[in-house]
Amino acid sequence: MKLRIFNLLFLVGLFFHCGMHGADCGLPKSEVRNQKYGISRDAAIKLFTDANEKYLQATKFIASKKIQEADQHLKEAAIQYETILAGGFKNGQIYYNLGNTYYRQGELGKAIVNYRRAEQFMPRSADLDANLRLVKGFTEDREFSTEIPPVIRRIFFWFFFLNQNELSIVAVSLYVVLMISLFFSIIRKYAWLRRVMVGFSIALFVVVVSLGSKIYSEQGVNRGVIIATKCEVRYGPGEEYETKFEIHNGAECVIEDEKDDWYRVYVNVGVKQIPDSKEGAEENVRDDVRRGWLQRKYVDVI
Amino acid sequence: MRKYSRFFTLWFGIVIIFVCSEKTFAQDIRLTATVDQNVLTVNDRLELTLTIHGTQDTPPPLFPDIEGFTLMFGPSISAQTRIINGDVSVSKGFTYVLQPVAKGKFTIGPSTVEYKGKVYSSQPVNVEVVDTPRTSGSQSPDLEKLIFVDLSTDKSEAYVYEQVVLSFKFYFQKELPVGDIDYVAPATKNFMEEKLGDQRQYEEIRDGIIYNVLELRTALFPMMSGELVISPATLKCNLIIQQRRDRRNTPSDSLFDDFFGREQKRYPVERVTGSITLKVKSLPEEGKPKEFKGAVGTYNMEVTTKAQQVKVGDPITLSMSVYGEGNIQTINEPVLVMSNENEFKLYSAESSTQITNREELIRGRKVFSKVIEPQATNLKSTPAIVFSFFDPHSGQYKTISKEPIPIAVESGEQEVPIQLTISQDKVATAKQQVQILTEDILPIMVNLSSLRNQGNRIYKNPFIITSLSIPAVLVIASFLLTRHKVRLTSDIGYARKRRARALAKKRLNGAQLALNQNLPREFYAYLSKAMSDYLADKLNISFASATEENVSILLRQRGVGDDIIREVSHGLTDFDHRRFSKDGGSSDEMERSLKFAEELITKLEKQLS
Repeated sequence: MKLRIFNLLFLVGLFFHCGMHGADCGLPKSEVRNQKYGISRDAAIKLFTDANEKYLQATKFIASKKIQEADQHLKEAAIQYETILAGGFKNGQIYYNLGNTYYRQGELGKAIVNYRRAEQFMPRSADLDANLRLVKGFTEDREFSTEIPPVIRRIFFWFFFLNQNELSIVAVSLYVVLMISLFFSIIRKYAWLRRVMVGFSIALFVVVVSLGSKIYSEQGVNRGVIIATKCEVRYGPGEEYETKFEIHNGAECVIEDEKDDWYRVYVNVGVKQIPDSKEGAEENVRDDVRRGWLQRKYVDVI
Repeated sequence: MRKYSRFFTLWFGIVIIFVCSEKTFAQDIRLTATVDQNVLTVNDRLELTLTIHGTQDTPPPLFPDIEGFTLMFGPSISAQTRIINGDVSVSKGFTYVLQPVAKGKFTIGPSTVEYKGKVYSSQPVNVEVVDTPRTSGSQSPDLEKLIFVDLSTDKSEAYVYEQVVLSFKFYFQKELPVGDIDYVAPATKNFMEEKLGDQRQYEEIRDGIIYNVLELRTALFPMMSGELVISPATLKCNLIIQQRRDRRNTPSDSLFDDFFGREQKRYPVERVTGSITLKVKSLPEEGKPKEFKGAVGTYNMEVTTKAQQVKVGDPITLSMSVYGEGNIQTINEPVLVMSNENEFKLYSAESSTQITNREELIRGRKVFSKVIEPQATNLKSTPAIVFSFFDPHSGQYKTISKEPIPIAVESGEQEVPIQLTISQDKVATAKQQVQILTEDILPIMVNLSSLRNQGNRIYKNPFIITSLSIPAVLVIASFLLTRHKVRLTSDIGYARKRRARALAKKRLNGAQLALNQNLPREFYAYLSKAMSDYLADKLNISFASATEENVSILLRQRGVGDDIIREVSHGLTDFDHRRFSKDGGSSDEMERSLKFAEELITKLEKQLS
């Protein structure tokens, strides 16, 4: 009996701990900034519908080679999507559509940022996955593959197929079922109920750990995407430092530190080292993690 | 019998071979006269070779009349048989060595030979004898004579789009080793060009000297009228000349020459041809048919179709094959002549081009597959097909017309049978890899039902966080309650302890009733019973054992304070004494006793819990 109480208290404590930790990590800064504004669902739906209509008109203009009209419509659609998001109304579809809009405008970095944000809400979307892969295929820098092997993705399927809220719902459901089981096991001494309870306890433990890991990976680690055509990564936080290497639009990086208007990042792309001033020096391309400082304005945080 | 069979087979084979050989050898009999050089000094010697091509079965040709030369020796006879790509060629050469006796220009007259009643003669050869000996010690050869190039076209005037053959020839004297050949083709701006066959290699006699010739040929199709210039072609190569060393060298040098042969010297040679100006005439407007779409050449056309009996709307594939000489790749599809445009639904034709001959001229075939669908049942034939082209040889437009092909068109209202199964073979052959034509992103999402704010994290919702504690509290409460119930039934000491106060309170209520009815003995009996039973239950001892002495000891063991123990001893003694006493005391005293008992039980409850 004491063991069961210990289990129960441990799981509850763990859940509360992870939940609070996630709350401390917070959403991306841009989202937190906009929490003070509010937008109703009806208003969001109206803006969303209008933006979609503008996007579809833009695609028709593109098909008929009317580039200026298409560009104008795409800009308007992007502003409307951004307005919904700035109003604190977050949805995977909006980020996905915004990513599409930026892609049509030729801004690969912003498209990837928004696809990555959409990924946090729609981890199972095949369309999103296809678009993200396509857009990343157009980026200039060769990515050092950090993809998780399919076997791992299948084994820990719930981690990759559920978003934070879905994992939370599963955890709460398991918790409630476990409590009910515990309640009945106290009242009625069924042996099978004890086995069921052990199963639910393990499941709850796994889900809670998964939720904590997901919150950490999505919000505890600050990731960003380069949104400038070319970005020089320097040895220190300032123009006076020498350029170490350069990365290009759409490359993803992990932000480790920040100082004034500079981020210290490391990148997982093939780094093209800028040759010495001597003409004819060969460019050196490496596939490893490289650190450096770059200006904040060149990066959009996911 | 088998023996005879083998005999006849052998003879038959021999006869066939001889007949073929005779036929081969008999072809193209000619006599040529060649010299090793056509400019020489009086000190040099001239080698004259009379060669009979096509047969080796002839007497020596008649020695020609030659002025200014004396015969030193000859003839030395050589026979040669060549088999190139199955073509057998034979020749027989008679070589004479001549010594010039005077300077001047001489002509070595034609030589003749008679073979099977026919007389064959050679061409005359011009030779110049000069008296100035070459002063150069190295005796550098006259390279302009040894190697030269030529660029020519087969015609100087042509029509727009007419085929013109451009020929580049590289001459180098026979048996001269030439290497590292680098050819820069002429610029043919304003022409379409098509390579003609592989390079040709043959021998040619010029001024009595045999040259090896490499010929590259290109078919040109002028794209515009006017005087079009074909720029010069350039050829670079290395010529390797073997030269004698100076006779004044030491004997060891001579030995060296004898052993290793003559000294080799490489001469880098560059030859540039002249440019060619081709006069290109535009196509005449006169007589131009309306079906003409720019085809120039000599063409013919065949039209076939497989479907003779079709339903309305069924496709009929017309296979229109245009073939002939000209720039076959650029010709447009023939014209279908229809009286009513609504008779047939037309689809654009697919075409395939095949160059059938590149040796002399570009000849080819272009097949247009055009799908037409009859739109009415009263149609009896396909449309007539017309193809017009300009024939540059005759300088006229020509039109080929193919008569309509009879067809039978039925009504297309028949029910289409449902195809339930497909043969595996058909499926296998029909399968092919899908080709990705373009790559683009997938469309936007427009599902409004799922458009809800996902930014609110569940684990941050205070209501949910608070609610999560409720099940835990309930479970803990149920657990404690259950445990309490279990102990009440299983643990007598626990049960007596838990019930002690309630029982004491009940008895104190009885005492209160006795006090109200002014029954002192009953009152104190209740008080005594309440106190002793309460202590017996709390200390889990029998009621009889709840004496003042035992109780004091046990309470002290439980850590109860001495003042309370004294009060308990006093109470038990006092209540028992008054219970059996005649003077029960006043009501006030009873009330004080009741209050004392209640307070004492409360104190004990705190100490013994």
